[in-house]
Amino acid sequence: MFKRTILLLCVMSVSVMQLFAQVRVTGKVTDAAEGSAIPFVSVVIKGTTTGVSADVNGLYTITNVPADATLIFSSIGYETFEVAINNRAEINVSLIQQAVGLDQVLVVAYGTTTKGSYSGSATQLRQETFKDAPVISFEQAIGGTIPGVQIAQKSGQPGSLPEIRIRGFGSFNAGNDPLYVIDGVPATSGDWSSENIYTSSMNFLNPSDIESITILKDAAASSLYGSRASNGVILITTKKGRPGKVLTTFKSHVGFSYFAMNNYPLVTEEEGEMLTREAWYNYGTDNPTQWQSYGSLDSYVDAMAEKYYPSRKSNLIYTKWEDELFRTSVSQNYELSVSGGNEKSKVFASLAYNYDKGINVIQYLRRYTANINAEHQMNKYLKVGGSFQFSDQMQSGHQDGQAKDNVFYLWKVHLTPRWPFKYDDGSYWQEFYGSGTRVNPVPQFHLQINDATQMRIMLKGWVELNITKDLKIKSIVSKDYLKMHDRFHWLYGHINFTAYGEGYASDRHRFVDKMVSSTVATYYKSFGEHNISLMAGWEAERDEWLYTRLAKIDFSNYGATESALASNFESGYTYRSLANLLSFVSSFSYDYNNRYYVSASYRRDGSSRLGPDTRWGDFWSVSGSWRVSNEAFLRNVYWVNDLRIRGSYGTSGNLPSDRFGYMATFAYGLYGDQAAGYPENLANKDLTWEKNHNWNIGLDARLFDRFDFVAEYYNKTTLDLLLNATVPSTTGFSSALRNIGSMRNTGVELALNVDIIKRKDMLFQVGANWATLHNEVLSLSEEGEQIVSRPHIRKAGYSMYQYYTREYYGVDPQTGMPRYYSNAILPDGTRDKTLVNRAQASSTILEGMTAIPKGFGGVNFVFSYKSLSASMGWTYKYGHYIWDDGTDSLNDDGYNSYTNNSKDQLNRWQKPGDITDVPRRVAGNTHGGYYDSSRALKKGDYLRLKNLTVSWSLPQNLLSKARISNARVYVSGLNLLTFTGLNFDPEVQANGYYNFTFPAVRTVTLGLEIAL
Amino acid sequence: MKRYVLNILWLPVLFFMLSSCEGFLDTRPTNKVVAETAMQTLYDANVAVNGLYKDMKYQDYYGGMMQLLGDQRGDNIQPRMMSTGWVQVYTLGYDSEATTYFSLWSRCYQTIMRCNTLIENLGKLEVSSASDIAKKNDYLGQAHTVRALVYFDLARCYGYPYMKDNGASLGAVLIEELTGPNDSKQPRSTVAATYALVLQDISTALPLLSKLTNTGHFNYWAAKLLQARVYLYKGEWNNAYAAAKEVIDGSPYTLVSRDDYIQYWEKEGASETILELFVSPQSGIDSDGGYVSYWHNLWHGAPSAGATLIPTLSWIDLIQSEPGDIRAEFVRYDSQYDSSKPWFSKFPGNGGTNFRYNNPKLFRLAEAYLIAAEGALKGSGGAAVASGYLNTIRKRANPSVADVVATDDLIQIERRKELVGEGHRFFDQMRLGKPMVRLDGDGYNFAESVGCPGSVTWDYFKVVLPISHTERKFYPELQQNPGYTE
Repeated sequence: MFKRTILLLCVMSVSVMQLFAQVRVTGKVTDAAEGSAIPFVSVVIKGTTTGVSADVNGLYTITNVPADATLIFSSIGYETFEVAINNRAEINVSLIQQAVGLDQVLVVAYGTTTKGSYSGSATQLRQETFKDAPVISFEQAIGGTIPGVQIAQKSGQPGSLPEIRIRGFGSFNAGNDPLYVIDGVPATSGDWSSENIYTSSMNFLNPSDIESITILKDAAASSLYGSRASNGVILITTKKGRPGKVLTTFKSHVGFSYFAMNNYPLVTEEEGEMLTREAWYNYGTDNPTQWQSYGSLDSYVDAMAEKYYPSRKSNLIYTKWEDELFRTSVSQNYELSVSGGNEKSKVFASLAYNYDKGINVIQYLRRYTANINAEHQMNKYLKVGGSFQFSDQMQSGHQDGQAKDNVFYLWKVHLTPRWPFKYDDGSYWQEFYGSGTRVNPVPQFHLQINDATQMRIMLKGWVELNITKDLKIKSIVSKDYLKMHDRFHWLYGHINFTAYGEGYASDRHRFVDKMVSSTVATYYKSFGEHNISLMAGWEAERDEWLYTRLAKIDFSNYGATESALASNFESGYTYRSLANLLSFVSSFSYDYNNRYYVSASYRRDGSSRLGPDTRWGDFWSVSGSWRVSNEAFLRNVYWVNDLRIRGSYGTSGNLPSDRFGYMATFAYGLYGDQAAGYPENLANKDLTWEKNHNWNIGLDARLFDRFDFVAEYYNKTTLDLLLNATVPSTTGFSSALRNIGSMRNTGVELALNVDIIKRKDMLFQVGANWATLHNEVLSLSEEGEQIVSRPHIRKAGYSMYQYYTREYYGVDPQTGMPRYYSNAILPDGTRDKTLVNRAQASSTILEGMTAIPKGFGGVNFVFSYKSLSASMGWTYKYGHYIWDDGTDSLNDDGYNSYTNNSKDQLNRWQKPGDITDVPRRVAGNTHGGYYDSSRALKKGDYLRLKNLTVSWSLPQNLLSKARISNARVYVSGLNLLTFTGLNFDPEVQANGYYNFTFPAVRTVTLGLEIAL
Repeated sequence: MKRYVLNILWLPVLFFMLSSCEGFLDTRPTNKVVAETAMQTLYDANVAVNGLYKDMKYQDYYGGMMQLLGDQRGDNIQPRMMSTGWVQVYTLGYDSEATTYFSLWSRCYQTIMRCNTLIENLGKLEVSSASDIAKKNDYLGQAHTVRALVYFDLARCYGYPYMKDNGASLGAVLIEELTGPNDSKQPRSTVAATYALVLQDISTALPLLSKLTNTGHFNYWAAKLLQARVYLYKGEWNNAYAAAKEVIDGSPYTLVSRDDYIQYWEKEGASETILELFVSPQSGIDSDGGYVSYWHNLWHGAPSAGATLIPTLSWIDLIQSEPGDIRAEFVRYDSQYDSSKPWFSKFPGNGGTNFRYNNPKLFRLAEAYLIAAEGALKGSGGAAVASGYLNTIRKRANPSVADVVATDDLIQIERRKELVGEGHRFFDQMRLGKPMVRLDGDGYNFAESVGCPGSVTWDYFKVVLPISHTERKFYPELQQNPGYTE
């Protein structure tokens, strides 16, 4: 989405002919700046509704036109152009691109507006930004393109859940995910992961079916969504039909993926043995009683090494585990869409199939999507439309984190080169590794089912009634139905089977049934240079969850997979829960002479998630802007193309995620075979919304017809923070939902786009954005209260992700022992900085160490030359710390002799005088230097080449013979290059906690797009 | 045309009418019950009584932690290896910032809250028939006794032994009615005050409780035996003797025979069991009986057992010192994990079918005999009476041994043999002010090499557990035990 400019006027080539009243006109529509064809331009005879649409090459033909008529050419992103026919048969037109930021149509809350008259903070992305990226869901492709928006993946497994944070963090507990609104209807979103795999409910939207995305950032933009808007709003507009010739597009790509970087480099086999021996040697030296029965320390070390890091045996086969566990993933994607219609009726329909094999044999994702979007103008008053979106997704994978079936974790931590893979007869080695809980994962793969299916149907119907020219009423009724089925089965024969009898099968069905109805009236009127618009309406939402879970044990047959064939009940239940929301919305805006703009909005929400006394909340905003460039004194300053100052203030809210969190409730279970009931939740009748007070000032400028600049500053204060707060254990509860304290996010966002080369056949643009984020907890419910949520602490004056742990000093050069700052509180209130051992060290707030970055953003390049085009997107983040939980297991200084070691262990202390951060290795060490201290904190800075796409359009003369209107081949890559000081993938979730989640993958795809 | 248009507009209007009608915003959960309506009948109260016990059997309380604190801090059970098996319990390696060992404290207060909820709600429940009154009284008695047991456990885990300083050290926070987040931030009372509440709760409960057996629930006899145990810890020897004697003489329970002794441990509702807690696969697989349970980790007899715990060689030497002791059969040498080390098969699982699901036996008649012996010896009952009780237990296990005259050492040795694995040993040594000695080089011990003193007395700060640093951050009124970092 790069800003363009007014460059050329239209060019008309005239050919005089025909004096008849009715003529046939043909021509081509091109971009005035680039000279390239503009597809699908609407060509309408002025004063009528008759018209046609140009084809993909910008060619149009319109017949039976009065020879003296005027044609109107219009297309999104271009200025509308009118031309009198004057008896010509061929009229070629060049349209001028709208300077974005002026009159570009912007999709906003409950309607559209033009960017120039909008005083809120919103960023719109057109589908060009992500259309060629090899992703399942659009979020993965837009990292680094929107200032102030942080995007990370929960896991690198196919289809995993994205984590989007718009302008920081508004909440401790109620969720920091934005609201998704699809074509005007709030959609089910957020984390609907299965029990064991992260999955995104947004996967149901094929990125190719999206026309545009608008991210609403400030209160003026989002307050109309009231109680759900405090984390920002993502408005998604799906593709609609276009009038004119039916356009059929086929698109396909094939992609190849593998880990984006070399995560956690490990020591070699020889080094591993050497480190193991050293740890036992040191242990034996310290504890001579331990080896007395072995005769000598050396034979003790030999025995221990043989036990924990056994030598290779001739009757066993060893392997390079990486080759057994991983493969280059191949993904395929096929899409077919048709778009067509006339001035009255428009239809868009698409089908797509996507298959991603995953880089581990138990991972894959398969998705089908289908989509129909239709509308019809019934008569002068009435327009109706509807859409149907369908997707069916099957996803298989494994748990993330330090889980037994996370192959990445097993590979890095547990599978040392000395653990056998097979016997020499070819059968798998099936014994327990190490301490008896890890097994050879390869033979288990086909004995485990860990998958999730997700079927989603979104149905929508709408009626638009134009009562008068200025007054319009639109009603939408929609049904969003999401059906999920997760399976977690260990079949008969799985090495874990005895834990659950002869196998274990857990099935979970979840249904999310959301119905939304809204009716909104809008009124627009111009009085000379005064324009006003009014909007008022209501919206009701009914959101029902149905949940069924059944777990059984003991399969009755080898090979049985379903719980119907398991003989014993383990657990199971079903329930439904309902959350309803009733809202009234209204807004007002006024502008004078395209110079002064003011607007206001108000919404009243009632939610069933809160008690009767507190459930109604009011949310509002006011905003204004001044377009300085339209003032007389700037009109003639040639280098100021546009200059605008805007500001807004308003409120929005956030509801508790728990639907019944305000009530005291009893839950039930079993005691033996008898029913057992117990209080489950502490009541809080005063529970209320989390409220955001948000102000924003911004400046938009276009200078020298080349530089586009946007600067914004925001200040977002959240009051009545919702927290599932730890309560004194003496209440008998561990936590209770409470409104506790306040928090503030402030930041600066800058975006600059420069048109470096802008010639008829060549374009080169560079865009960069940078955002800062300062997050601070302002207060908690009681003075001085601190909430420790390791490795973080929440305390007034610190960020929400402030680290709190023991402060690691390093290694005592004389003894090799890890040393810590005592940090005991001295009588004068300061912290004692004496060096002590672990047990004597107190945890403390580590000033300046937080997971919140100092800055982040992206740099984007667009280049095109004739039929070749290329784009490149970098993303960066700096000034934050990552908590590396891998320190525990890979850098444990000898604690666990069975496991692998990170290369860092080679820097261990060996003899007095050694200066290092890695303590002396001691088997089963007691110094505990490896866990829960600032040793696990690492600088998270990174720079990543997120996207690179090169695309080439085939020459027209070749294509026209094949009756193809356009054909394009492209190569696209994701996560191609990464620069970071970390030894694992730096795209870590926003809280900075990294714990062996499956790392991001690098993908390269080859694609083809053909339009008929 | 206008009419047609208006007809279509009715649809959303209709939906609006539906949604705005009364109650659209009053939704109720279906998987739980709103508390105000949760206890309206005696049946509801009975279900809530079961709720008292339900979570006491989790691994952080009687599903393992209490047994570990008694036996693994003692010299009966130890980790098989240095890297697994509650090493921090074994080596007294806990500290105020470890995150793992604090759910015992919160589990205790969860149970206390359930007792307080039941006591409050029973007060509002009106019943008239004699049988209903008896039921209601029994429920109320159970709530008081469970509360007494939990406060007793808090006192002995978090407070120093009563006899060290007559209960002057810090004990539990005494919460006797329902509290909210703000009025719960009370300081800890002394051990003496905690014991006083425990004994008061038991006195309240005894007249209310049924004397009939009620498997899985406190009855009069279980409460009486708890009372005997509390007196024993307080050093009120005559009271301890009297209470234990009442259980031995008056209760319907009988000691099982030597022949039935091994199978006894897999039986539910056996004649010697006064109180056990139900553990079954239906009630939560991982927390009760799964990988983390004590029983799972003691078992070495199946390839998927946890096998991280073993009996100490000193206990094995003790039990094998007198040949013919049936309890020596618990020691087995066929470990599927480490054939060089013996394992301990006392708890084979309910019905002997799945070693993960063991009903923990909290009170057995055998303990009453041992309490009666100790109470009689140290009180006014005399050594002869004590010897009678002691020899009953000795000879039940090993008929070939000769009668002995009871001494305190012999009683403690017999307690160590008979109550092994049931969570008594460390507490017994501490309550009597005796050292807990575990030296490296003695069998597979490794506590010393990991920084634990080889001999621990009631003066060592780690004989009491730390209070959570994290909780103290927002609940500073909760005093830390001396010696631990803030």
